[in-house]
Amino acid sequence: MKSVADFVSRIRANGSESSMNRSRRTFLQMALQTAPGLLASLNLSRFSFAGTGSHGAGGSGQRAVLVVFGGVRRAETFSPEGVENIPHLAHDLLPKSLFYADARNEGVTAHFNAISSILTGNWQRVDDWGKLAPTTPTLFEHFRKKLGAAQSDTWIVASNKALTSLIGASSATDYGPPYGANVVFPKQLMVAAVANALRAGRTGNLADRAKVESELENMLEAGNYEGLGWTVSDMADRLDPRVRDTIEQAITSFVRSGGPTSGDELTFLVSREILRRFSPRLLVVIFSDVEVAHFGSYALHVAGIRTGDRLAHQLWQEIESNPEYKGKTTMAILPEFGRDPDGSATNGFFNHRGDTDCTRSTWLMMLGAGVDRPQIVERPVRHVDLCPTLASMLGCPAMESQGTRLTELRG
Amino acid sequence: MKFDEKLPQGVQDALNKGLLGRLPVTFQPFTRQHLRDWEFLFPRERQSVLRLLVYLSGLNGNELAARFREVVQLEEKMGVRQWQFSTDEQTIQNASLLARSGHYQEWRQAVQKIFDAADEHAGKDQDKGRRRLIVLVLPQRLPLERSQIWQRWQGVGRPIRLDLTLHGAAKSAADALIFGTPNVSDAPNGKGPLEMAARGPEASTADAWLVEVGQDLAKSALNQAAAGTSEPAAMLLSHERLAEFRDQFSHEINSIRKDLSDADGVYSRLRKMDVAPWCPAEVAARPVVREFLRTLYLSGNGALIFGNSFVEWCASEALRRARPSLLVAQFGVRSKPKPFTSVAVFENPDQINPLPAVEDLPGSAMDAQILAHYVWLAASRYDEYRSNTVCLCLAESLAEAYLVAPAEFALWRQAEPVSLSQLRQSLTDWLAEEVG
Repeated sequence: MKSVADFVSRIRANGSESSMNRSRRTFLQMALQTAPGLLASLNLSRFSFAGTGSHGAGGSGQRAVLVVFGGVRRAETFSPEGVENIPHLAHDLLPKSLFYADARNEGVTAHFNAISSILTGNWQRVDDWGKLAPTTPTLFEHFRKKLGAAQSDTWIVASNKALTSLIGASSATDYGPPYGANVVFPKQLMVAAVANALRAGRTGNLADRAKVESELENMLEAGNYEGLGWTVSDMADRLDPRVRDTIEQAITSFVRSGGPTSGDELTFLVSREILRRFSPRLLVVIFSDVEVAHFGSYALHVAGIRTGDRLAHQLWQEIESNPEYKGKTTMAILPEFGRDPDGSATNGFFNHRGDTDCTRSTWLMMLGAGVDRPQIVERPVRHVDLCPTLASMLGCPAMESQGTRLTELRG
Repeated sequence: MKFDEKLPQGVQDALNKGLLGRLPVTFQPFTRQHLRDWEFLFPRERQSVLRLLVYLSGLNGNELAARFREVVQLEEKMGVRQWQFSTDEQTIQNASLLARSGHYQEWRQAVQKIFDAADEHAGKDQDKGRRRLIVLVLPQRLPLERSQIWQRWQGVGRPIRLDLTLHGAAKSAADALIFGTPNVSDAPNGKGPLEMAARGPEASTADAWLVEVGQDLAKSALNQAAAGTSEPAAMLLSHERLAEFRDQFSHEINSIRKDLSDADGVYSRLRKMDVAPWCPAEVAARPVVREFLRTLYLSGNGALIFGNSFVEWCASEALRRARPSLLVAQFGVRSKPKPFTSVAVFENPDQINPLPAVEDLPGSAMDAQILAHYVWLAASRYDEYRSNTVCLCLAESLAEAYLVAPAEFALWRQAEPVSLSQLRQSLTDWLAEEVG
């Protein structure tokens, strides 16, 4: 079996910069063809829909995990030049995925609006800084209201600081916070801990792993979760003990592992703990280390892509090894948008404001139970198509959406 | 510096008769702000605003309405009248409202048509024919890989080999190139690219810019000026020398709550603050540079955080606003993110984390390479730099440069390694000659 890298080399030899679309198509087709053994080894029968374990509510018994990256361009990801930044997505996951090669953000290419468009299936044009909730129901609300799911069944764990707890529920009549998701911003906990230590003159603590742990736990004890932008089930002054244990376990892993210490690492660890302890049927994880691009470090942006690639793969491995999820979970991975092209008046990769394919055209990878067979879909799909697709997969009745269910998926 | 132009009488009359009030709502903040900040505009910006106003003031009522019909119709579709939209100045709130409108791109195109019509009305800009030079420096300390370094340039120029042997007191190849050395014969009268860029009756210090992460170029320019008992012949912008400015600014910006109106409040406060005490002398003495920096830092793009981002964004903004004849942009080294506290990327890492800073040489090299290319791409957006411009990206650690130049540039076909004195002479000659 030849590796994707071999084929990438061939594309480099045969392709040219001006034939990017052809090159992308060839690249993706070859990537699938390279792994016939992998494809043959997929036991499609195990993707049955007989899964149980839902929390006593209605629905298909299926689960969904949605992973959203910040803005990444095709050039740094699924392209001959970019594939080295995404070894797990390209080598480990692509061969078993249903891959939409052109998933388009046709709305506002700013974080709050992009994510709320994905979560509602309607292009949102609300305040960029999360002062206003999405105007149409989120998937969380639809799922909970129609199927009677508990709040602990729906979580959103996000690194992005442009989000607020309003991302978890809409302002739509008859929906809203009573049907919203738990919303946790682990990175905000870290930022707050840093700010707190700074204010209290304890910056020395930030160089010592044990003391960092204590600073983070102090923030948890402080009880000002709204200050962190969180919304968690029945949250009053104190976190529910299970939630608190979950976050503390993630913090311990984060601080003591000796591993990388970015915001996305903590977001991943919190997400993993939530999967293990609450087994939600709908989990949304938002990684945003890549957004360091706004500050102009290309090297750190690419490092963020590599981190996201690794963490998305680890999340998939967690799903595959967790009996509550294995065989009955569909995972979707997509970026919020691309970034602006080199040479643009908006300063290239720094930003994501351009009305260009480079900024609007991304990709969507689907894995797991909803995937009949691995394939690459070339026709353009839209970010708003994902919400009705996942809703259908979870067993929800059709929802009002500007999107259309993706027919290549089961459900 | 020539900042004493008066508005033509026709324009002044039109303004007195309420021209600004007849402009579409979304057109007003730009125009009003530029007129208010007139003393802080570069000559080329003043010329651009004048072209627009001369054009608009020459239109009668019907013509003005026809010219702006498309913009006004789009404003109606966007519902601008219902927005909290400042007509007095460009705000973050304004930008956010426009950007999330479904008609934003159409609106941008419609506005651009007005500026294009004004340019067409004004006729040919003689200044666009001047020869120009851009020097981008990847300093010695950055580890570069010869086989890949010029890939991003996609064959727009060619690499040339250099002999970077230093003579005399030169601190670096870039220093020798710009300032010369006692052992090297310079152009007639000892002049180099810096002096050539700022020559002629219409020249101003805005014609030459030295932008850098460190402060070697600034120090050399200041030493040279002191020796000649004159002001430096260039805009000097050193990330290192602006440390206090950055710290004070960052402190204010970090106080922004998550709220657009508060952001505009802080920005408004920052626009009015006296920043002179935070500036090195060469900046404090020049109001136009102080205001340039203030705007630069307010516009983000990492200029407050990373030195290389500062250099790229500063150079790009200088090209956009001032269209200099000479731009030198020297990149440098940043530190690695520190454990845990790197999430607070907008804070000064050395103030919030006592761990010693560790240089990230490979990461800095990666950043500098793409950002150097971005400076060239920024220049390429403007007519002034599409021909008659030599761009030299100097990779000091490889003794190599990438050269983008018209065929008539002396070194364009050079095969042998070029010495620093040869290179300096060629660049000086390039700027010295008038376009035929």
